[in-house]
Amino acid sequence: MMREGYRKRLETLHTELIRMGALCEEAIASAAKGLLDEKPEYREKAIRLEKEIDGFEHDIEAFCVKLLLREQPVAGDLRQITSAHKIVTDMERIGDQAADIAEISAFMVGSPVKSDIHIAEMANATIKMLSDSVDSFVAGDLEKALGVIESDDIVDELFHRVKGELLASISNDPSLGEDCLDLLMIAKYLERIGDHATNIAEWVVYSITGERKGFHDLPGGG
Amino acid sequence: MRRRILIFSCLMAGASIVLTAVLIYMAVYRNFAGLLRREIATESDLIAAAVELSGHDYLKSLEANPPAVRITLIDAEGTVLFDSGWDPSGMENHLDRPEVRSALETGVGEDARFSRTISRQTFYRAQRLGDGRVLRVAVTTDSIFASLLGLALLTALIASGVFVSAAVIGTGVTRRIVEPINRINLDRPEESPAYDEIAPLLSRMKKQNEIISAQIDEIRQRQIEFRAITDNMREGLLLLDCDARVLSCNKNALRLLQSNADDPVGKNALALNRSETFSRAVERALAGIPSEELTTPGERYLQIFANPVRDVDVVCGAVLVLLDVTEREDRERLRREFTANVSHELKTPLTAISGYAEIIANEVARHEDIPRFAGCIYAEAQRLITLVGDIMTLSRLDEGGVRTPREPVDLGHLVECAIQRTRAAAAKRGIEVAFSGGSAEINGIIRVIEEAVANVLDNAVKYNVDGGSVSIALAEKNGEITLEITDTGVGIPASEQGRIFERFYRADRSRGGAEGGTGLGLSIAKHAMKLHGGRIEVKSDGKHGSTVTLTFPAA
Repeated sequence: MMREGYRKRLETLHTELIRMGALCEEAIASAAKGLLDEKPEYREKAIRLEKEIDGFEHDIEAFCVKLLLREQPVAGDLRQITSAHKIVTDMERIGDQAADIAEISAFMVGSPVKSDIHIAEMANATIKMLSDSVDSFVAGDLEKALGVIESDDIVDELFHRVKGELLASISNDPSLGEDCLDLLMIAKYLERIGDHATNIAEWVVYSITGERKGFHDLPGGG
Repeated sequence: MRRRILIFSCLMAGASIVLTAVLIYMAVYRNFAGLLRREIATESDLIAAAVELSGHDYLKSLEANPPAVRITLIDAEGTVLFDSGWDPSGMENHLDRPEVRSALETGVGEDARFSRTISRQTFYRAQRLGDGRVLRVAVTTDSIFASLLGLALLTALIASGVFVSAAVIGTGVTRRIVEPINRINLDRPEESPAYDEIAPLLSRMKKQNEIISAQIDEIRQRQIEFRAITDNMREGLLLLDCDARVLSCNKNALRLLQSNADDPVGKNALALNRSETFSRAVERALAGIPSEELTTPGERYLQIFANPVRDVDVVCGAVLVLLDVTEREDRERLRREFTANVSHELKTPLTAISGYAEIIANEVARHEDIPRFAGCIYAEAQRLITLVGDIMTLSRLDEGGVRTPREPVDLGHLVECAIQRTRAAAAKRGIEVAFSGGSAEINGIIRVIEEAVANVLDNAVKYNVDGGSVSIALAEKNGEITLEITDTGVGIPASEQGRIFERFYRADRSRGGAEGGTGLGLSIAKHAMKLHGGRIEVKSDGKHGSTVTLTFPAA
């Protein structure tokens, strides 16, 4: 017989994680809009959301530790809680990077560079990855999680493409150098967000199967 | 129940055995004690007679041949003179013994006393002899308690035997009694033969079973109805409990929220959709605040009405109604555009008129220029009149019912008339207008159809290249009459083809003014066709001309 209070607390953990995931999606979407549509309110929103996400990380971590100590979960529950504990770290990094993108895009308003570069595609691919990884977590969907892990290559490829395009752009018109470097940073952040989304998907896989996928490419922070 | 019956019967058996044994023994002992008394009385009478007769000698003779009873001789002062069992010199004064005192007073005294322990009892009988001495005879037997104790083992043995057999028999009997009750089919209690005593219970059960199954049927029926209603309504409906878990949810809610959850019931609402607006609506509703949100999951506009459900004062859930308002939003957007366009289109000629008029009024203009300016004012005013006329036509068509009666219209004749009117403009640019002829009759409002055909024909000429051509074909097939107007103009790009029927829309915005159109022509044509139950379509490869087809239902 399951303890009713415990059951409820696990549910709360799940809901809070969905909330936090939704905020991350919102943050990266706002950052992308702030960059591409050049609307300042979106940039401000991304920066505001980052603070909110930090708060969530703190609360969920404390909640996980409390659950571990009080309930002494085993097997699937233990995996669920430990992976939640790890997922919030990745989500927090995503929030940071979305805010960073918003900050950099403030300097890029009106810059002609981005129209020629595949940065919009990259942003969309990253948003989709994050969306899918949160989806896979919400529904406990193994297939989708594995799909996210695979699609990381697409974002990586786009990053290299953007890098090449920026290189060409600098050599064509050295006066655009600063903008190009800023855009490279943004592309790198997007690529990092893709990695974090992959991590989230890997934790989802772990919480479902108990197998830790891909130890490679763990983010060292950034 | 079986245990209780068993314990009860065993206890009953055991208790009755013990009680019976005790009572029987007491009766027997009473009898026995009476017998003993009588015996002792006889014996003491005999001994007394013997003592009276032969005095101390008799007593002496007893010493050699001790009797079964104890004989004591006591003088009137209570001093023991002789005792058959003890040395009289060591014995205390016996005057305070009840039987002795009673014998001294009345001649005879009796008493029964327990010895030091209660296991033995002594019966005494004292008798006053002729010389005033007292002769006492005593018999000691086991006391009633000691005999009972002796019997106890036997009683216990019997009791335990009875106990065991009571248990065995009790179990069997209980089983036989309980079995029919156990065999009752609870779903159909009336069919099971059981005791008359529980028949009322069974009939009550039967009644309650019927009530319950009727209620279940009704609830199921309601649920089916509810599901049928909610699944067929256009709106999405979502019921949440106080923890935001889904209690009920129809198909459209899932579709509108773009969720592909298989079984949403019991899941958190955020698992269906985690957009900011949706979660805010849920949060507010559960906090007791009704709210309305507009959100855009994907391409569609979604309106969310979230209301708290209260039980007395406590919020115990929320009801969310989801509405696809994409069409409404689109219409709203069109209306806004239309208003903006109308103001713009009206303002342009007015600005020109006002400008020319101002120049003339201020006498800035040279006298010889005034006719030219007046001409411009006239042209702009004409344009305004056309525009206002078009807008009025449109708004009349919008209201759906130019209530003019329908009459038979000959389309062939109508087309020829229209060609006549555009001939001048076409000739100016060397455009040839050809009509393959024919006639077809439809039922309609001639003025409206005229306007539609004229507008399409005007466009065909207006947007043609110089020296181009316009061909018109009238055909009737499958109960439909089609009028095809093909030009050799610049064509309409595929991306624009959906929008050219919108008011004030021009495929090429840079051109509009030059050709003097109002941007309302095709919109009017479309409405006119709609009014007649027909349709208008445009085909173009986007480079070399276009074909506009008007299709009427045959009269």
